[in-house]
Amino acid sequence: MAGFAVIRALALALLMATPASADVAEAVGDVILPAYDRLADATADLDRTAQADCAPQALHPGFAAVWDAWAAIDFLRIGPVEQDGRALAISFWPDPKASGPRAQQALIDAAAPAVDDPAAFADLSVAVRGLSGLERLVYPSPLTGDADYLCRLRRATAADLARMAAEVRAEWDGYAARLLEPGGPGNTDFLTQTEARAALFTQVATGLTALADKRLGRPLGSFDAPRPERAEAVASGRSLANVTRSLTGLRDMALALYPDAPRTRAAFDRAIGLAERLDDPVFAGVADPSGRLKVEILQQAVQAARAEAEVEIGGGLGLSVGFNAQDGD
Amino acid sequence: MTTRRTMLAGLAAAAILPRRGWAAVGAPAYLAAGRRPDGSHALHGLGADGAVVFAVPLPDRGHAAAAHPDRPVAVAFARRPGTFGVALDCRDGRVLARLTPPPGRQFNGHGAFSADGARLYTSEVVAEGSAGRIGVWDAEAGFQRIGEWDSGGIGPHDLRRDAAGRLVVANGGIQTDPTDRTPLNLDRMRPNLTVLDETGAILSLRELPGDLAQNSIRHLALLPQGAAFAMQWQGDAADPVPLLGIAPPDGALTLCPCPEADAFAMQGYAGSVAADADGRIVVTSPRGGVAMIFAADGTHRATLRRADLCGAAPAPQGGFTLTDGGGAVWAADEGGLRLLARHDLAWDNHLIALESARGT
Repeated sequence: MAGFAVIRALALALLMATPASADVAEAVGDVILPAYDRLADATADLDRTAQADCAPQALHPGFAAVWDAWAAIDFLRIGPVEQDGRALAISFWPDPKASGPRAQQALIDAAAPAVDDPAAFADLSVAVRGLSGLERLVYPSPLTGDADYLCRLRRATAADLARMAAEVRAEWDGYAARLLEPGGPGNTDFLTQTEARAALFTQVATGLTALADKRLGRPLGSFDAPRPERAEAVASGRSLANVTRSLTGLRDMALALYPDAPRTRAAFDRAIGLAERLDDPVFAGVADPSGRLKVEILQQAVQAARAEAEVEIGGGLGLSVGFNAQDGD
Repeated sequence: MTTRRTMLAGLAAAAILPRRGWAAVGAPAYLAAGRRPDGSHALHGLGADGAVVFAVPLPDRGHAAAAHPDRPVAVAFARRPGTFGVALDCRDGRVLARLTPPPGRQFNGHGAFSADGARLYTSEVVAEGSAGRIGVWDAEAGFQRIGEWDSGGIGPHDLRRDAAGRLVVANGGIQTDPTDRTPLNLDRMRPNLTVLDETGAILSLRELPGDLAQNSIRHLALLPQGAAFAMQWQGDAADPVPLLGIAPPDGALTLCPCPEADAFAMQGYAGSVAADADGRIVVTSPRGGVAMIFAADGTHRATLRRADLCGAAPAPQGGFTLTDGGGAVWAADEGGLRLLARHDLAWDNHLIALESARGT
C-alpha cells in the first residue's frame, strides 16, 4: 500500500534522525499499519464475496479472515478506531442486554431501506453492524425474516465493515505522523516522545487486562455461576481463536516497543502456548471444574504477561500508566 | 466611634482586601495538587494562562483543595481514606493548622469554605460503616472542630457551597473498608444528592432511579441554577449508563446521555466535572482519556481526547481549563483542546477555580 510505504519511509527517516523514537516508529511501521492493512484487505475481500454471493456459507471464510485481522489489533483503542464509535461498530461485544439482536430484528421486520443506502447504514446503531451483526446473519441465530432482505442486510453489513476498515487505515497516516512527531504544531495528542511511548504501552497493558477480564473473564463468571454463554463469537466458534490472535498481536506490539524484554516474551509465549493447546474453542468447558481450571490458568498467564510487561517494558521505557487513570477516586 | 470617614475606609478595605489576599500570591485563577519529578507533592497556584504562580509542599499525594474566599489560604485534603487535611498559607507554605478528623472519622477527599470564609466544611465518613458526615471547622480560630452534621447518605465525596450558602453533597453510596478503598456494598448501594442549609438541616435528598443505584454520585459543579453531578458506574462495564446528571433547584435528577458511539469512551468513570457561567458542563475521564462537553440543557456537544485528563474548572474568560497527568494545562471548548502550558508535573485529579478570579 502506498500510504504504508510513505509512513514506513517517514518512520525510518525519523528512526535515523532521532534514535530515541525507534520504539514508536517500529510499533507503528511493523505492527500497527500492517495490521490495519490486513484488516482493510480482509474486509474488502469479504465485501466482494458478499456482493457476488450472499449465501451464509459463502461468507464463512471471509468472516473468519476479518476476525483474524481484527482480533490481532482490536486491543488498540486510540486514534481513528475511536472516531464515530468505529471499534464498537466493528465488533459490538459484550452485549448483555441483547440490544444488537433486538435492534437487528426490528430492522428486518421493518424492511428498513438503510440496507440500500451506505450512508444511512453507517448511521445505524453500532449494535446492529459489524462482525457481531454479520455473525447473526451467517451463523445460526434467532433472527428471522425475508430471504431477499437478509441477503441485502449481509451485503450492507459487509460493505460497512470494509468502509470502516478503509477509513481507519487511511486516517492512520495522519495519526501516525502525530505519534512520530510529538510536540509539533497543533499536536494535542502527543506533546513529548514519552507521551507517545506511554500511549502505545498503555494500550498493551490495558489490552491484556481487557482480554483477561472480558474475553476470558465473562465466560468464566464465578465458580458457582460459570457463564459459558457469555463467551465472544460463540456461534462462529471463534472465542478461543480470538484470544490467541489477540495475544499474538499484543506480543508483537510489546516487543516492537521494547525488543529487549526476554521475560515479557517468555510470559507471552507461555500464554499463547496455553491458548494453542486449549481444546475448548468456545469455552464451553468453564462449566465443569477441570475445564474451568484450564481457562483460569490461561487467564492467570495473561495477567502475568501484563505484570512482566509493566516491569520490563514500562520500567525500561521509564513509563508509568496513568497517574489519574489508575487513581480511581 | 465610627465616623463616616472610617466607615468608608472600612468598606474600601473590605472591597480591596479579597483581591489583595490572593493577589499576594500572584492572583491565581486555580489551585491544583501535583507530583514533582522527584516524587514529592505540592499544591500549586495557576494563573488563567496556565503558568504556576506559587507552589507550596504537601505531606503526601493530595486529592482536592478548598480555597479561602478572601485570604491566600488553602486547605488540601488527602486521598481517601484521609489521614490529613492541612491549612496552608499560600504566601510561604507555612502550615497554619493540621486538621485531624475526630476518632472514628475519616476525611473523604473534599471540602468547602462558607461564603464569608469563617467556616470550613469537610466531607467525612464514620470509619465503620461509611455513614456520611459533614465536619464543621472554625476557620477564624485555627480550624477548630466545632461540629458535624449528617451528610444524608453513605460515603460522601465532593461537596460545594452555593451562592445562597447551602451545601450540595454527593453521597456516593459506597461503603468502604476503613483501612483501604475496598467497597463493601456494591449490591445494595444507594447514592444520593443532598442539599443542606447553613445549620445542617437537610433541605432535599434525591436519588437516581432504581436501575441506576450502582451509579455512584461523586463529583459536583454548581450551575447558575442547581448543580451538575458526575458519576462512576459500579455495574456491568458492558452496560454503559450516563455519567453526568443535572440536579435542578427542585424536582427530580435528570441524566445527560452521550451518543451511542461514545457510550464507552469514559469507561464508566467520570473523574471531575465543571460548569461555566453560562451553565455549559465539562466532565472528564482519565481512564478513557476523554473530556465531554455538554450544553447547559444537558445535550452532548463534543468529545475531546487526551490521555489522563482529569482536572477541570471554568476559565475566567469562558470555556474550560483542563489538566492532565502529563503536566499539561489546556483551554477546552466544543472546538477542541488548546495547549496553555506544560509543566514537569503530574497534575492530580482536581483543578479548583478560585472564586476571586471568576469573571465578576
